[in-house]
Amino acid sequence: MDKSIFQPYEDEIRALEEEIWLLTEKYKDIRQESISFSDEDILQSTRSFQRETQEETNGQESLSELKAQLESLEADLPSLMKFTGFHFTSHSKKTLERTRNRTVEKHRLSGKCHSLSFQLEFQLLEVQDNEKVSTVVSDLSIIMESGEDSNVSKFVSSTEECGDVVTFFRSLSTYAEWFEHRRRTFLHFKAKYPDIVTLPEGLGGDFIILRSPKVSGFELVIVWKIHLNEEGTTIPVLDLLPKVPEQVLENSMTSVENIPGSFRSALRLFGIEVSIENLIKVLRSEK
Amino acid sequence: AQERQEQLQEREKFLKSRIQELRQRRDALREKVRQAVSELGNLGIASEPDPREVLEWKIQKCRELLRLFRLTGISGKLSPHGISLSLHTSFEGSLLDSFHLELQERGDSGRFWLCRHSVPPFIPLERLARELLPRNPRQFLGILCRHLNTFVGRREQLRKLQEEFPDSVQVLSQNSLCNFLSFRYRIPAESSGEFQEFRAQLRYRDPTGTRPDDVTAVTGDGVAVPEHSELLRRLPLHRALRQIHDTTAGTTTTG
Repeated sequence: MDKSIFQPYEDEIRALEEEIWLLTEKYKDIRQESISFSDEDILQSTRSFQRETQEETNGQESLSELKAQLESLEADLPSLMKFTGFHFTSHSKKTLERTRNRTVEKHRLSGKCHSLSFQLEFQLLEVQDNEKVSTVVSDLSIIMESGEDSNVSKFVSSTEECGDVVTFFRSLSTYAEWFEHRRRTFLHFKAKYPDIVTLPEGLGGDFIILRSPKVSGFELVIVWKIHLNEEGTTIPVLDLLPKVPEQVLENSMTSVENIPGSFRSALRLFGIEVSIENLIKVLRSEK
Repeated sequence: AQERQEQLQEREKFLKSRIQELRQRRDALREKVRQAVSELGNLGIASEPDPREVLEWKIQKCRELLRLFRLTGISGKLSPHGISLSLHTSFEGSLLDSFHLELQERGDSGRFWLCRHSVPPFIPLERLARELLPRNPRQFLGILCRHLNTFVGRREQLRKLQEEFPDSVQVLSQNSLCNFLSFRYRIPAESSGEFQEFRAQLRYRDPTGTRPDDVTAVTGDGVAVPEHSELLRRLPLHRALRQIHDTTAGTTTTG
């Protein structure tokens, strides 16, 4: 019964505490999002920290505790990047709305997945409902380096439409890994057989030429294309185009005709590296 | 009674002073925020930055980046002998279930072994780990993520289907992996106000496939309805049913 006398006071206290919480969060967001420290600022502050060994804490964490926290976080990031292949190069965020249960943020994120660059903008909504936190991505806009490829742009459009940023990153990861694999494979063969292997378009190109050391004009062109379909599945396609001079054709038509077919079978059975290795062996032993 | 009166007065005094204190804090904060907003034009700090502020800013930045990794489908942090990973799934923009893995590195071998995990048993985790993990952890994670994402995606499609059509869809059977399911659905015939009954059966043969491979849609009498099965094959379940509703309503009004 006395409770009802004090109710208006308690209501006002609760409202004030809520407002204080909101203002504190808003202040933190504004500071975090508008400040950017230059590298010199950061270096300077690390030096001045090292000068001071004692620090008054006032119930807050000491500088050395904060430093330890930062070191642990900074160790996690590179490991995660190494594990996933994702390297974020720049990020900015703006908090559009923040209440106890709901946060709306606008993000701009750039990075690389292996050698492929990407740039994303999206809105992130997080709602807390008791114990559960739900996260929804919307307004997704993606710019990719190899965006001129029509397959890639179809995939990007359909991903933007449904806001499925996780599928985008997962598909990008597999796609980029294939590029990496191809690059490493080309490099391996170029280094191992420099006299036979040429890469007219370099390590990033999509074909490799094997030149016969014995028969001039006799070349095997291996084309290795990497497609990304609309659903985000990476499909590598390899094919072999022999370039054969006339005399060789006259002498051994059938065996030359069989080369692409047997290459394709070898791919299925033994994989890419072994199949290419075999081709090179054949070329070296060719009369 | 005198004591009671004193108690009430005490309480009132306390509450009033608390309100006073909170109002002061609130007003100070309002001013602080107003000033911060007006300073928004000037980026960066002119004078030597406070080491604490820089540290806190950097810590916050790191935390944000680590959180952003969730959107790539894989996030985590170092653990004493390896790494603790969370695999995140999503469907149409909403982040859904997360699954956890702990990988340990044996010595400096650079090879990883699977320790604890929270992946459900119908996902072939052990087989994938045996075949891929030691040599190629990224490929292992990539394929595992696909299994998990497509499973959660299929489950979510079914949930959305039931949520959007609570009265017209009845699930007859589904398995835990959600790659085999059958349900009844009914479409109102505009003119008569009666319902047409249908049955559909879907099977996803590829556990990493987002679209079903075998779809049959039949009327109550067992007559095949190719338009329906085509929609169910092409679109997520709830969207397929939406289109089925729309086209059926369309034909009955014109027919």
